[in-house]
Amino acid sequence: MPMWADICVAVLLIVGALAALIGTWGMLRLPDFMTRLHAPTKAATLGAGCALAALALRFYFVEGGSSLRYLIPLGFVFVTAPVSAHMLARAWRARHPVTPKPDPAMPSASP
Amino acid sequence: MTLLTICLLPWCAALLLARLRSATAAFALAGACALVVLGLLGQMAQAVWAGQTLQSSVAWLPALGVSATLRIDALAWLFATLVSGIGALVILYARYYMDGDERLPRFFALLCAFMGAMLGVVLAGDLVLLAMFWELTSLASFLLIAFNAPDRGAVRGARAALAVTGMGGLALMAAVVMLGRAAGSFDLATVLAAGDVVRADPRYPWILTCFLLAVFSKSAQFPFQFWLARAMAAPTPVSAYLHSATLVKAGIFLLLRFYPVLGGTDAWFFAVSTAGAITLLLGGVAAVFQHDLKGLLAYSTVSHLGLITLLIGFSTPTAIVAAVFHVINHATFKASLFMAAGIVDHECGTRDLRNVNGMWRYMPLTGSLAIVAAAAMAGVPLLNGFLSKEMFFGEALALEGHDPIALLAPLAALLAGAAGVAYSARFVHDVFFNGAPINLPRTPHEPPLWMAAPVAVLVLLCLLVGLIPTPIIGAPLAAAAHAALGGSLPSYSLALWHGFNGPLAMSALALVSGVGIYAVLMRKRALHQRPLPDPWGYRQFERLLLTLARSGVVLVRQLRGDRMRLQMAVLALAAVLAAGWPLLGGGFEAHLPELTAAIPQGGIIVWVVGAVFAIAATSARNQPVTVLLFLGAVGLAVALAFAGLSAPDLSLTQLFVEVATVLLLLLALQRLPVEAPPVRSLGKRLRYAAIAVAGGGGTGWLAWEAMLRKPPAISDYQLANAVSGAGGTNAVNVIIVDFRGFDTLGEITVLAAAALIVWAFLARERAGVLGRFQGSFMLPTAVKIVMPFAALVAVHLYLRGHNLPGGGFVAGLLLAIGLVLEALALGSWRSPHARPVRWLAAGLGLALLTGAASLALGYPFLTSAFGHPVLPVLGEIPLASAALFDLGVLAVVVGATVMLILAFAFGREEGKK
Amino acid sequence: MTETVLPFAILAYLLALLLCGVRLLRGPSAEDRVLALDTLYVVALALIAALSIALGHPFNFEGVLAIAMLGFVGTVAAALYLLRVKGGSNADVG
Repeated sequence: MPMWADICVAVLLIVGALAALIGTWGMLRLPDFMTRLHAPTKAATLGAGCALAALALRFYFVEGGSSLRYLIPLGFVFVTAPVSAHMLARAWRARHPVTPKPDPAMPSASP
Repeated sequence: MTLLTICLLPWCAALLLARLRSATAAFALAGACALVVLGLLGQMAQAVWAGQTLQSSVAWLPALGVSATLRIDALAWLFATLVSGIGALVILYARYYMDGDERLPRFFALLCAFMGAMLGVVLAGDLVLLAMFWELTSLASFLLIAFNAPDRGAVRGARAALAVTGMGGLALMAAVVMLGRAAGSFDLATVLAAGDVVRADPRYPWILTCFLLAVFSKSAQFPFQFWLARAMAAPTPVSAYLHSATLVKAGIFLLLRFYPVLGGTDAWFFAVSTAGAITLLLGGVAAVFQHDLKGLLAYSTVSHLGLITLLIGFSTPTAIVAAVFHVINHATFKASLFMAAGIVDHECGTRDLRNVNGMWRYMPLTGSLAIVAAAAMAGVPLLNGFLSKEMFFGEALALEGHDPIALLAPLAALLAGAAGVAYSARFVHDVFFNGAPINLPRTPHEPPLWMAAPVAVLVLLCLLVGLIPTPIIGAPLAAAAHAALGGSLPSYSLALWHGFNGPLAMSALALVSGVGIYAVLMRKRALHQRPLPDPWGYRQFERLLLTLARSGVVLVRQLRGDRMRLQMAVLALAAVLAAGWPLLGGGFEAHLPELTAAIPQGGIIVWVVGAVFAIAATSARNQPVTVLLFLGAVGLAVALAFAGLSAPDLSLTQLFVEVATVLLLLLALQRLPVEAPPVRSLGKRLRYAAIAVAGGGGTGWLAWEAMLRKPPAISDYQLANAVSGAGGTNAVNVIIVDFRGFDTLGEITVLAAAALIVWAFLARERAGVLGRFQGSFMLPTAVKIVMPFAALVAVHLYLRGHNLPGGGFVAGLLLAIGLVLEALALGSWRSPHARPVRWLAAGLGLALLTGAASLALGYPFLTSAFGHPVLPVLGEIPLASAALFDLGVLAVVVGATVMLILAFAFGREEGKK
Repeated sequence: MTETVLPFAILAYLLALLLCGVRLLRGPSAEDRVLALDTLYVVALALIAALSIALGHPFNFEGVLAIAMLGFVGTVAAALYLLRVKGGSNADVG
């Protein structure tokens, strides 16, 4: 494996791991559901995507072109993650009608 | 060959008769069948009387040591002749009795089938075959008794007969299996020769119990006597046949047949003679008080069967001779009496003894025939009944040893003899004399000549045997008794006159006292005013049936859907007991394996996450949905753990099963209340907790034990042979589709059946849980993008399954979940690929075809072939016929999963198109 | 280079797994739990990918695929379920 690929894989892994960590950290810490929804949908998806890209790149030098198949789950996650989030948001909205709040930063009591 | 013809001819005739319409043709065919059988038997007569045993055998179930052997010796010959001879007469009689009835061909068909079953019982040379034919006689007699089906009495009588004789059939099957084991063979000749071994066997009491249960139920011995009396609801020809020569004599035949094997012990003596004596007295007394002509005859049959059983119970050689002799005599006079009763019934329109009186004036011919037959039944000298009764009295007097019975036997014999005379006297006097008929529906007259002819033939036989016994019946009787005894024949004399002795005195006393009893009872028609005696046994039987039905209702109420907790508790407890029993017996080794060695570093976190959620899920405070989501996390953790332990197959399967389960439960949850009803009482909580701990702890223990043990040698074998034997490196898949392909075939069939049951069950719901999803366009669009990839992955998983993790099952689950997703997104069954029934049918069909293909090529079912053909473009391809089978598995899994989940989600409302 | 980074990456993914677990446990609403479970699936997928690189063999590619798909299916089904029970107004299903 050439040097540049090694670096790329390492960077992808680092970015992915950090993104996943940040995304889940956000999911844990953010105040209400709608804001919590943001964090993992974006960050954790990026984390998984990076890991898969690293995988594809790493094994490109082992098995050649067929390593592109590792991008299938990547595409899958990228297509489905927004849809999941969308569905969840709809579900939340259906059960919790929006009421205007004076201060959106104020942590809302969990329902 | 001849034996095979005898055995099969009635069945062929029955099949033909069932298709016939014309009564005349049916009569001709049935009569010819009986006569041909009789003729074939006549051909064998000389050889059989000389003591030969003819046999023909075909291998049937060689692996079990069972063969279809037919065997005829003198005893079997005698019974077969009775069956076919009286059968021929009954057929002639029925032709006129049921004249003009369009059901006549069906009647003859059933009669022939019954004859075939009886001949089978008599001629069977193999215990298993014998039990099978025995069962067939029960079935055929059920159909015959229920011939007037909508009629309440017929249905009830048939039900009683089937229940009792069917129970007896089960007992016989048990007896036969044990007997075959004890004797070392199912072959009748071998068993008959192994009497000493069988009697010394520790299983002997069990064999005897089951055997006697079968025999007593069939030949209506106490306490099963009630069914025979109820069976008189059958048309009279059937009664004449069943009561005289056939069904009830099957039990007697079996007693005689196995006398050399099972008889001669104290247990035999007490059990058989006690049942016989009770039946003898009970039947005799009950017969006197019947008002129904056929009822009287039915109870007299019970009594006579008791007499024969008692004789066999005496277990002396001369008693056996007397028993065989009385079988013949009883068959002749009882058949003629039933036929005469049928004529009276037919001509008068009723057979109530209180109305049918003074028939002598209207039908002197029938009357004289019936009087002779009744005299034979009573044991009047110069008739056959006298001879065998004389022998019976002699045996009862000669009994010694077993004290109480030896004292009581002559007394019982005398009492029964007197009762026999009394009911015979009532039959003669009440029907043919005793004033004038009362309120008859029609004016009686003599029957057609051909209807009386069978009666005449039988009565003539009674007379001839009574007058000149030795030339008429001597040879076959001697031969049959010899065969029944299985040894040397005792000295006996069939002569009419033995001088003044004890038996003669008893006969005379019985005659005088019988007539006296009847005269006293009948004074001023007093007997007509008496109520019917309590039909002991039948009421108890009805009550038993009722109790069974009621307990069924109670059970169903307990197991109905609204007792979910109870059901679950019962299921869990049953599983705990079934698994716990061997586990507790196996001992417990408490040593910890080195946990850390097996788990990759850091993987411990996965285990911890799984464990935490598993514990959290058990907390009762959680809502069902939360528990479900926790379980999803547990499943994922387990899948990761499997992956970490390099078990990719398990990991994959675990994932798919997990998701399918969560989907199913989510849909099921919508039918349940959002909040689980609380369990309030402490006792209940403790009980559920105990069950939960037992179930969970037991499962854990089981897993623990399984992990501690070294895998058994079979897995090593399968691992070693996966490539060489089946051409696949994925041993798991090879085991599923090849090594244990037959198991898999069974499993997918069960799976398909279960899915169809759920489907049918949920079809009652008007609508499913989910309505049409009318949300955004996002979900359908995403699904449309994703679905082709999912299908591609499924194909990929399936294709590589034989060599690498994957295979039909996992691929099927993936495809199914994809299809479910598609259906959920499109909101209904409108998904173009959700055709579960077709998937199921195609899958099962393919799997079966693959199996059948190897059968067609001359290999055993499901033999697989494999090869690695090299194709021009694609290169070497591992190809195994098992792959086709795997494709079948895939389709069934898809069909079943889609069917289950979508039936839950949408009901059948939209699926019905 | 990759070898140096890998342990940290795997550890980070495992940590993310833990964080998801905490959210899943805490809820409070059903939607939160569904979201947490969905994220759990995604992180697990990434973890397997990283493990594959570490072991030098793509040993569980099918598992990756399956997880990607199943996480989605589960989330959609749960969301549909929650949409459906909205009739119970604010009935706390989670």
